[in-house]
Amino acid sequence: MTALVELQDVSVDYAGHGGSVSAVQNVSLTLGENETFGLVGESGCGKTTLSMALMGLLPASARVTGQLLFRGQDLLAMSEAERRQQRGDELSMVFQDPATSLDPTFGIGYQVAETVRAHRRVSRGESKARALALLREVGIPAAESRYADPPHRLSGGMRQRVVMAAALANDPSLLLADEPTTALDVTIQAQVLDLLAELQRKHGTTILLIAHDLGVVAQICDRVGVMYAGQLVEVAPVAELFAAPRHPYTRALLEALPSRGRRGRSLRVIGGQVPDLSDPPSGCRFADRCPHRMDVCATVPPLVDSDSRRRIACWLDPATRATAGLPPVPAAPTPDAPIAVGPS
Amino acid sequence: MTEQSRTVIEQDSVPLLEVEGLVKRFPIRRGLFGSGSVHAVEGVDLQIHAGEVLSLVGESGSGKSTLGMCVTGMSTPTAGRIRFAGEDVALASRRGRADFRRRVQPVFQDPRSSLDPRWPIETTIREPLDAYRVGSSAERTARVAELMDLVGLPRHFAPRQPRELSGGQQQRVAIAAALALRPELLVADEPVSALDVSVQAQILNLLDELRNRLKLALLFIAHDLSVVEHLSDRVAVMYLGRIVETGPVERIFSAPEHPYTRALIDAIPHADPGRKMSRIRLTGEIPSPVNPPSGCRFHPRCPVAVDRCSTEEPQDTQFDEGHSAACHVAAAALAQRGSIISVLSEGATS
Amino acid sequence: MTAHPVAEVGKAARAPRRRLRTRLGGREGLAGWTIVFILIAVAILAPILAPHSPEAIDGNRILAAPTATHPFGSDDLGRDVLSRVLYAYRVSLGIAVGSVLLAMAVGLPIGVFAGYVGGWTDLILMRLIDLLLSFPALLLAISLIAILGPGSLVALLAIAIIYVPIMARVVRSSVLVVRGQAYVRGARARGASHLSIVRGHVLPNAIGPALVQASVLMAFAIVIEAALSFLGLGSQPPTPELGLMLADGNNYLTQAPWVEIFPGLGIAISVLAFNLIGDGLRRSFDPNGITR
Repeated sequence: MTALVELQDVSVDYAGHGGSVSAVQNVSLTLGENETFGLVGESGCGKTTLSMALMGLLPASARVTGQLLFRGQDLLAMSEAERRQQRGDELSMVFQDPATSLDPTFGIGYQVAETVRAHRRVSRGESKARALALLREVGIPAAESRYADPPHRLSGGMRQRVVMAAALANDPSLLLADEPTTALDVTIQAQVLDLLAELQRKHGTTILLIAHDLGVVAQICDRVGVMYAGQLVEVAPVAELFAAPRHPYTRALLEALPSRGRRGRSLRVIGGQVPDLSDPPSGCRFADRCPHRMDVCATVPPLVDSDSRRRIACWLDPATRATAGLPPVPAAPTPDAPIAVGPS
Repeated sequence: MTEQSRTVIEQDSVPLLEVEGLVKRFPIRRGLFGSGSVHAVEGVDLQIHAGEVLSLVGESGSGKSTLGMCVTGMSTPTAGRIRFAGEDVALASRRGRADFRRRVQPVFQDPRSSLDPRWPIETTIREPLDAYRVGSSAERTARVAELMDLVGLPRHFAPRQPRELSGGQQQRVAIAAALALRPELLVADEPVSALDVSVQAQILNLLDELRNRLKLALLFIAHDLSVVEHLSDRVAVMYLGRIVETGPVERIFSAPEHPYTRALIDAIPHADPGRKMSRIRLTGEIPSPVNPPSGCRFHPRCPVAVDRCSTEEPQDTQFDEGHSAACHVAAAALAQRGSIISVLSEGATS
Repeated sequence: MTAHPVAEVGKAARAPRRRLRTRLGGREGLAGWTIVFILIAVAILAPILAPHSPEAIDGNRILAAPTATHPFGSDDLGRDVLSRVLYAYRVSLGIAVGSVLLAMAVGLPIGVFAGYVGGWTDLILMRLIDLLLSFPALLLAISLIAILGPGSLVALLAIAIIYVPIMARVVRSSVLVVRGQAYVRGARARGASHLSIVRGHVLPNAIGPALVQASVLMAFAIVIEAALSFLGLGSQPPTPELGLMLADGNNYLTQAPWVEIFPGLGIAISVLAFNLIGDGLRRSFDPNGITR
């Protein structure tokens, strides 16, 4: 797996009225060519901020530190003009709400063709032909006759297909998809996920899928990263993560999901609250809610290779402990230790 | 009594809520002169028994929310009958209707918009008590404290404004306000879909607990089928204003009869990479409820449709105790099974 | 959790809901309010503050330049400009506040009623409002003055009539938004009466935009009134009035600019103050603090 994107110790802070908000803290992550990587976590965990940092679309109040490499190129060292050139070309994006990602006054085909022309010196005819081919590829029926249709004539699912056509217009190497199916109905979501997987196979695009729905990630991703309150806590191949989550947060998150096996039983509740990111705890940010909390948790656990395929940032993990010269946890707590049930 | 769910208690023969042939159409204006109507709900029958959780599932445009609005009295049906504890709500006196409103309470999807941003949460919880003049002022205050305990809100939250609360806490406030008048039925329209997974788990646990403790019936309107499977006793599947299948939750999820139910269940993305979504996809999208298709409304998207489906509207066929579906193909298969069985049994007797 | 006494519930009414400063519109709002209060004080205390009588004619000081005793100079009849400006605020502020209050008294109920009831009531009321809006504002004012004759009170009435439809529309549209909120539907489902819903939910949540509009309209009222007086349709001489003073000063702009400049500044300051309040309120009426 060759690296397409390398993030090293990436932190994002937002300057605000009463001090700064630490939205992302020291995230290190590598995305390989041709893989679908899922980034999951609950609202406010920093997954969208991280992807925006990658796109260079953060607001001026955000300060990004660390290294963001795209094909070995330092994104933070590039000029705004260079980054603009890159967006929509090598890097492209699909947003959650297809209703607002398209301009309501222009025909859908025109909008796809425009993306082509923004980055390629092609004639109008060529760009139109390309746009038509793209619309057909994403499954817009009767693409020729719908070419000039404004977005509101299309259903939500169809609009999201058009957004995807525009995102794929210039064969990007990396496609960022931020909750691309959240606004869609279940049967339409299934269609769009199929399409995303198919396009990935055909074009070899690397996809960074941001989602809060663990099911969506389980269905189409190769690897998954779990974020909590700005920290990346676990990265693993999808099957392993879901079968045997190792970070206490990942485990709690999966046990909070309703499923057939848990019918009639209480779902797991994570006690306490997400920490205030304008005044985050100094160590592991999950520590306050964690049933296995130890003294060492006041220090941020590094994200280390737990084994050849999995990375985890938790002081329970022997490999993490080894980095600090700590012996393995004496009496390893059972994975099913009860988590305090609190009101909220 | 055709419907019978596992929670029904024997003497409880009158359903708490009975909906019969409910129709709701919204007039729409197109330009100055054109007009038409949205057929949001087209002839729905439904029953909920005391203490039962019935989930109403379907995609956007299926009419499930409209049905919920009619049931809570926030919308007046175009036709059909709603009976609560055996009494026709439309024919009830003014007092009877007020009583019905007290006994059926809604819970909305977005807790942010269901709380007045200017009201401290205790005022919100107290509002229904004031409106119905329940007890003395001191008793109302005590009841607010009791309700806050019931939904797991710390009492010192009482003077807080909604914006000082997290989404989960806001939803607890909304539920507390809905419970203030000791209703017998909660109509919850997507109460957890605006919440994060771990918060959603808290609210689902709370609903489950309330239902056990207060013997509360719940009409749970949702699109997330894994949540539905977790919480419900029975499920009704809606498509374009019609209930296409209804039955006990285990039966619906393990052996659905209607092809639309099957497609919905197949489209669930399970949080288990080993359990992939089925390869079979429903093509196309839900048609406009202004011009619903003829015959079976699902036929243009149906993978098993036959000629008859486009012309003749299927009637409810009972497949099992409390399990029925409206599908020609499934009914034909049932009839065939039946005839085979009868042939076999005839063969055995002769 | 149960350790907290019941006494904690029921205190909300006494708990300070928000700091006064934020409610008045933050830093900007506070600046606006301060200026307005100073201007009101000035208007009320004009007889004490003014160094001279506003109507005292001094033949020796015709168009005289500012001096220590006449800091704003004197006008074409030798009257003290400073004293006249101080007195003029009585008329200007009176008309600004009066016209808007009158417009609110009429427009607010119309807007709330139309927006909350909806349907045909809304349709008919709004078409009537549109009818009123379709007249050019100044034309409406001028025709009224033609009937009733010029004067400060008539100007106030004319401006109020211009403002009623604006007020009604603003209120109606925010009532429509609030009416659609789940908490209103919920309150209804929980048995709250229409009256208590309007009082408890609709008015408090819909009043914000109306108050913002009101402060902006007050600023406009000062300008409109000045314009009417300038045209000779508002206050009549010798009433000290800012627009009237502008009209007078216009003739001597080159010889004695102070006759023009100080009333002009007087208008500008009051308009600025009301606009500052409007901007501040706009921000503070966003209970979720999104724009902050």
